[in-house]
Amino acid sequence: MPKARFQYRRNSALNVIFLLLITLSFIGAMFLAHRLTDKYVENEFNQRKIDVLEETLKPYNEFFQKKVPEISFYQGYLDSSSSLKYADSVFQEYTFVKGVEFYDTEISNHPIQKAFRINHFSMNPKAVYDYKRNKQGSAVSSQRKKTTNTASSTMEEFNHMAVKFALYIESVDSEKPLQSADFISIFYHVTHNRITYMNIPRDEDMQTFKALMLKEQALSPVFQQDIVSFILDPEKLIIKNTNKELYQYIHITPIVYESLITDPDILSTDLPLTGAFADYKLHFSSSRSHLNKEINHRLIPVAFAIVLIFSVLLFIAYLIYSNLNVNRKMFSLQYNFINNLTHEFKTPVSVIKIAGNNIKSAKELSDRERFHYGKILDEEADKLNDLMNKLLSFTQIENHSITIKKEKIDLLVFIQNMVDAYQIKYPDFKITHSTGSVTSFKTDPVLLSSIFQNLMDNAYKYSLPQKKVLNIKVYLEKGNIVFKFIDQGIGIAKAESENVFKKFYRIQSQYNQQGSVGLGLAFCKELVNFMSGSIALKSKQGEGSEFTVVLPFEL
Amino acid sequence: MKIKIIYGLVWLLLFASCAQDKKAQRIPLEDFFKNPKKTAFQLSPDGQYISFLQPYKNQMNVYVQKLDGSKITRISSELNYSISYYVWGNNDEIVYLKNNDEKGPSLYVVNKKGEKFRPLFSEGKLRLKFITPYRIIENQLLIAINKRDSTFFDAYRLNIRTGELKLAEKNPGNISHWIADEDGQIKLAVATDGVNETLLYRSKERQPFKPVVTNSFKTKIAPIGFSSSNEGVIYALSNQHRDKMALVEINCVTGKEEKLIYSNDSVDVSEAGYSPLNHRLLYAGYETWKKKRFYLDDSIRNLYQHLEKLLPNTEVQITGNDGAEKKFIVKTFTDRSPGTYYLYDLAKGKLTKLSEINPSLPQNAMCEMKPIYFKTKDHRTINGYLTLPLGFKAENLPLIVIPHGGPTSRASWGFNSEVQFFANRGYAVFQPNYRGSKGYGKSFWIAGFQKWGSNIQDDITAGVKWLITEKIADKNRVAIYGTGFGGFSALHGLCFQPDLYRCGASQSGFVNLFTYIKAVPPYFKPMLRMYYEMVGNPEQQMDYLRAVSPVFHTDKIVAPLFIAQDLKDPRANINETNQFVKELKNRKIPITYLIRENDQLNNLEEQMNFYRQLEVFLSDNLNK
Repeated sequence: MPKARFQYRRNSALNVIFLLLITLSFIGAMFLAHRLTDKYVENEFNQRKIDVLEETLKPYNEFFQKKVPEISFYQGYLDSSSSLKYADSVFQEYTFVKGVEFYDTEISNHPIQKAFRINHFSMNPKAVYDYKRNKQGSAVSSQRKKTTNTASSTMEEFNHMAVKFALYIESVDSEKPLQSADFISIFYHVTHNRITYMNIPRDEDMQTFKALMLKEQALSPVFQQDIVSFILDPEKLIIKNTNKELYQYIHITPIVYESLITDPDILSTDLPLTGAFADYKLHFSSSRSHLNKEINHRLIPVAFAIVLIFSVLLFIAYLIYSNLNVNRKMFSLQYNFINNLTHEFKTPVSVIKIAGNNIKSAKELSDRERFHYGKILDEEADKLNDLMNKLLSFTQIENHSITIKKEKIDLLVFIQNMVDAYQIKYPDFKITHSTGSVTSFKTDPVLLSSIFQNLMDNAYKYSLPQKKVLNIKVYLEKGNIVFKFIDQGIGIAKAESENVFKKFYRIQSQYNQQGSVGLGLAFCKELVNFMSGSIALKSKQGEGSEFTVVLPFEL
Repeated sequence: MKIKIIYGLVWLLLFASCAQDKKAQRIPLEDFFKNPKKTAFQLSPDGQYISFLQPYKNQMNVYVQKLDGSKITRISSELNYSISYYVWGNNDEIVYLKNNDEKGPSLYVVNKKGEKFRPLFSEGKLRLKFITPYRIIENQLLIAINKRDSTFFDAYRLNIRTGELKLAEKNPGNISHWIADEDGQIKLAVATDGVNETLLYRSKERQPFKPVVTNSFKTKIAPIGFSSSNEGVIYALSNQHRDKMALVEINCVTGKEEKLIYSNDSVDVSEAGYSPLNHRLLYAGYETWKKKRFYLDDSIRNLYQHLEKLLPNTEVQITGNDGAEKKFIVKTFTDRSPGTYYLYDLAKGKLTKLSEINPSLPQNAMCEMKPIYFKTKDHRTINGYLTLPLGFKAENLPLIVIPHGGPTSRASWGFNSEVQFFANRGYAVFQPNYRGSKGYGKSFWIAGFQKWGSNIQDDITAGVKWLITEKIADKNRVAIYGTGFGGFSALHGLCFQPDLYRCGASQSGFVNLFTYIKAVPPYFKPMLRMYYEMVGNPEQQMDYLRAVSPVFHTDKIVAPLFIAQDLKDPRANINETNQFVKELKNRKIPITYLIRENDQLNNLEEQMNFYRQLEVFLSDNLNK
């Protein structure tokens, strides 16, 4: 097993599990999002009703806080005509006011028969007016017949107010002026669909009233107070549905109302009204499908965000995977290279070893034998040296640790030398060349000869024995010098033509059994790039290859 | 090179600071409103001592000194309440009044060395009026108090030696004033039913009063003194049968006006100098753009002319004298100086400086108050005063309009700390004497009746617009500020002239005229009809009063607002002002609300605080 540990691992089950997990978590997230939105909307349904209440009661509160206390500003001076105008303005502004009753009240210590009396304090309505809304929405008045009995039910509001006020007057303390917090309990009387209000007398008047009540005094002047009672109609409250998406229907219903709808798909909730409308509540209801619409509406952005997150996740996973793939290829290249290299080194080393052994074990060496072994040792040492040089210079080139030493060369002489060297080495190698008009140019001869060697080696190596032919063409094109190496070798498949320049790449074929490291063309490409040129390959399998090297032309 | 630049900069700075100096130095707010150190100078009847009021531990107390300024003695030690009134009872003793909020008014006696202090009068919570405030005849002080019935005042004699309080005259219920002659005999009385005033006369006490003449409240007869030559003839200021007040002689027996002594074509005669010593009329005082005197007596003319020669370029007033009228307390003032008190000895012709009223205000840094006038749309001429900040061109200035209170009152030429304070801060100050103001005759006064929210306000608006067309005021920087009725005008202006005013400030302004009318207390009940006539009848003119009362029109206000309100103010209910402020706050109008306790102890500090905040408010809103 330890062998497996250092092997390159590829586990497709892991990939499948990863994909499965991602899919599952995506589905989970979507489900969770839906559940949360659902809960959230349900919560909203129960909570946002406060907003509706607030908006709906806004005119009522304004009426209560502003329009009603305006009566105090008139300081008791309201009479039939001015109270009509006031009632009219109330009707115009506040639709939920159904009627207004106005008690033009007098306070004195006169012993009046039908008045509300405590000690000497008398309080009686001089006149009572009822205001109703007519069809145009303005006020019409009717004066009530002379009241016969203050205790009668029609005078209920007046009596309530009189009792409250008299009790307050009795306990009024000059040291403690009236606080606005007391107003609501003394001067407002809020009951079922009704607000009754009396104008707030000045502190000095309160003292006077107290004196009227408790002290024996001469007949006092008559003080004017205004009591106004508003009859309200909750049906006329305008419901402001601020959350239409949540509430399909809102009704004002009596506080005891219970919905009899049994359809489980209808959701409903209540909220009691306040103030004079405390006997009523707002009843909110929505069908499930209405809420679902809202849920979906809110889910869309969430779902979109989840999809986005997961696509980013998947994309990153893909990047990691493809990176791993490249690394895997790299790994196999290097693995092969080491294999080849070992092999390459092994052959000459074993030949040298055999030759060495033979020399050691021979009793004596004939001249022929000595020459033979010497030649073998020499050749194999050359091979090793060549191999090491190649590796070394390749590393140097890759690390840019060599420098270009340019000098002018005579191209014809240069090529002829190369050709001559090869013809001596391989007598069956037919090399033709043409240099055209180009005679000389400036370059690093060592690097250039390296390129020539590699390409010429290849041409020889990958050609069938009867077809070891190479044509070298040199010409100028757009300020560049072009070298073409055309052979009639086995050729390279089109799919491989890019790969041949890669490091440690070797085409798997029958011609390539031994002696190749997969560095030659990669080395060439590095060299050409280093010399600011380019290299390209045009090839057809079985017919031959054409390598084109383009270098900048300098004189 | 560098040194040269620094040198130049130094010169530039020096020059700049010099240029600013010309624009009147900025005087600290406290200097404008500090209480005068010494006030209310009085000479003892024998002319040997001078008394005055001076703060002691923050409260006004009585001090006595010799004529030459030596032997200054504090003779009272009131620490909780300021003394507002005192009088020499005789050559040795002084009577003073303390107004205690809880216990009511009390009178005390103390001698000039600060010894023999004794309480004289304390009858609980009632109201006290002096019939002859600065004259005690034979130890008898004449006072009127509403002890028997809170709604009217009986006349009493209070013996300052024994403390004995004797009823001098019972009020049948309709007498509003008692008037005594030089000997302390109550010979005149004014009866009123609220609208009509009747002058009553009797030649001797114990005789019944007989009506002399009856007038509505619009006509005024103000007795000045009794003629020595003819029995039953009095000197009085009267506008009966004429538009402008005049100094006249009235025969109280026949009820006829016997002689016109002095009248002025354009303005009322507002005061008369009278010497009780020998029943002499001294001068008739009237106020055109400033107070002037028409002399009726040669000796007094000589006296004044001599004083004016001794004190050039200033106005001279005699505010007190000894019993023999040989020594005088003289007060000077101008529009740019609150003035100085002097002692003048007639026999020696010698003037001695007693006290400067506010020495911390340099006269050359104060601003001139100029009389101006403008025409209204209905061709009425309205007078007023314009104070321009020192060192500014009269062009595009930020303006503060100060309508006076009342409205039965007027802005007068003289030193005004408030106006000078604003002018010192670089504002022009405009004080219109709109219709309804006092002093310009009966018809001008009556023209303001029931026009509080209409023609009066139009006059103020016309004045501001006139200053804008004259290019004196910058139309984008006009503020309106006032107290009482002036505060009402400010609020009214903000409601109904929102384009004219950049901001407004109201001190105890009437936010609701219904409340204003309602505030007539029970013992002023007869005055109610007069109020109805002057302001409006809340029952019959409800629409008008509603239309002009700011409390109903908060929705029209857009400009920033400063409101100061006394906690206890019968004329403007704090609850209403609270409501008013609440409404504006709800509407997000920038508002500064200052509630004043009106605490006796911190009154001055409260006042300073008010002006401090007002200064910030104005400078914030007028882009200063």
